[in-house]
Amino acid sequence: MPLRITENIHNWLFSVMPEGVASLVEMTLIAVVYLTIFAVAGLFLVLLERRVAAWFQLRIGPNRVGPQGLLQTMADAIKLLTKELTGTEKADKFLYNLAPYFVIISALMALAVIPFSAEFHAFDINIGIFFLIAISSIGVIGILLGGWSSNNKYALIGAMRSGVQTISYELSVGLSLLTMVVITGSLQLSEIIEVQKSGWLILQGHIPAAIAFMVFMISGTAETNRAPFDMVEAESELGAGFHTEYSGMKFAYFFLAEFINMFIISAIAATVFFGGWLSPFGITESIPELGVFWFLLKTMALVFLMMWFRWTFPRLRVDQLLTLEWKYLLPINLVNLVLMALLVWLNLTLRL
Amino acid sequence: MERILFYILALIMIGFALASVMSRRMLRSVIYLLFVLCAVAGVYFMMDYNFLAAIQLTIYAGGIIVLIIFSVLLVHHIEMRMEIARPTRQLLTALACSLGLAAFLSVIYTYDFQVSGPGPGTEVSVIGAKLLDYGEGGFILPFEVISVLLLAAMVGAIVIAKGTKLSENKNEVK
Amino acid sequence: MGSEAIIVFFLAGVVLVTGANFLSNLISPKSDSDAKRAPYESGMTTIGPTWVQFKVGYYLFAILFLVFDVEIAFLVPWAVAYKGIGAIAFVEVLIFLFILGLGLLYAWKKGALKWK
Repeated sequence: MPLRITENIHNWLFSVMPEGVASLVEMTLIAVVYLTIFAVAGLFLVLLERRVAAWFQLRIGPNRVGPQGLLQTMADAIKLLTKELTGTEKADKFLYNLAPYFVIISALMALAVIPFSAEFHAFDINIGIFFLIAISSIGVIGILLGGWSSNNKYALIGAMRSGVQTISYELSVGLSLLTMVVITGSLQLSEIIEVQKSGWLILQGHIPAAIAFMVFMISGTAETNRAPFDMVEAESELGAGFHTEYSGMKFAYFFLAEFINMFIISAIAATVFFGGWLSPFGITESIPELGVFWFLLKTMALVFLMMWFRWTFPRLRVDQLLTLEWKYLLPINLVNLVLMALLVWLNLTLRL
Repeated sequence: MERILFYILALIMIGFALASVMSRRMLRSVIYLLFVLCAVAGVYFMMDYNFLAAIQLTIYAGGIIVLIIFSVLLVHHIEMRMEIARPTRQLLTALACSLGLAAFLSVIYTYDFQVSGPGPGTEVSVIGAKLLDYGEGGFILPFEVISVLLLAAMVGAIVIAKGTKLSENKNEVK
Repeated sequence: MGSEAIIVFFLAGVVLVTGANFLSNLISPKSDSDAKRAPYESGMTTIGPTWVQFKVGYYLFAILFLVFDVEIAFLVPWAVAYKGIGAIAFVEVLIFLFILGLGLLYAWKKGALKWK
């Protein structure tokens, strides 16, 4: 974890306090920092989404609250906080209140594993990518629970669609990442970035890597339930989908988690395919502090791509959605995995 | 610290396992079961068996639980509570359960457990190397047999789900 | 940070949701009426039970998912160890994926992948 700044904080903490207290304080600090990132990134992405949408539609978008509308979503968040929390009469209250925890905690844990830069990396677990896959498979339970326990037909149908969609596309996410693991030979995200010092993986693995990247972006978009795969909350037919009955802050959790998940998918893609915090061709290798900048630049470019999808493609029907996954992406993915294995075996990967 | 954590996890497991069995609402039972599975994953994490923990989360917590939720929603009248068994049955069940528990505990406490030495390691690369090892102690054959097992499971599931015309119910939702 | 990160981030999530709920409960207005407690259905009154029976198709996809999920779990160690092993590993995964591909083909031909 220690960035030079954080290392200094770490040393200072351990010098002024007994060890137990110091580590406790340190953990609290890390948690606070990540919660801040979580909230700020969420709010910023919501604003970005609205501005990008406006831009695509030749509108201006929110620009009144703060410079360039920067405080708009902050104001929205405060508004949501002051709204009444309603619920339905027959709802299963326990599960209804439990659902946001699943969604938020899974998003937060995934965020912990993402390497923002060489040092700014809270949790470098040795199964990195697989941990991300595991955590993202928990999030869907929150959606299923929220939709079911609301006792609302829109919510229930939305949740069921979401369930079947998310689990289907999870396979493609997993397999396309696995394709890249064949090159890296490691699941740990810091090691995956280390491998990319001799060329980003999308260049190293050329054809299969490019296919894997496309599959990953498509299925990542689907897994976060974003348009064109937003069957789950198709406004014109299902109200607000699985969170129809959630109001105020409880709605905000789902909304926030959706945007954080978009960030996480983009961040994974940036890390696995585009070298994470590495600078292109090592141009700023001597200034490691710029790592965060490169990471965020790549991630935001991919986030923009996902927003671009949203305003380019029409929404898919459920059957088309499942056909796309099971009859196209999954077989392509399996063949692609074999192709990549062949490539690595015959040593045909490109290296700078 | 580790010890406290373990006891907390154990308490969570036992508590939610009981809740899962005793809850009268189906979906809540499923969620209690999910908590048990997550706590098991927590124990694996504590043992630094990260790969196994992640498998526990993906397959059990993320896969089986979703499957169970879907199959619960296949059921009619899910909002109804499950009925309570008659007292005689309750008594018999309690007796059987405590008998099972007694047998279990007596085996555990009488068996002379040996502290195992350091294993080959829990790294994913070690597991992978073992899976691909065709020499002594390698698991190359089981690895292939698993694919046959999965194939059988898939075929079986399709036959069961498709074979009978279960889905002719006017209440169902497309 | 080691494995305790899991606990830290788990607690952080719990604190976030609980805290925001608490705060929201403190400052939000409260009023109650029958209409507010009714499920939202675009202004109509709900007809019939909400928790309806779903069709078997969902279950089918869930079980197919599970099979492939297990497959991924087995492929992960293979992918990690693959690089140093070469030919054997390649042939092995070819057989593994071929057998599973047969399963997918069977599901396809049986129409299990079709949403009706």
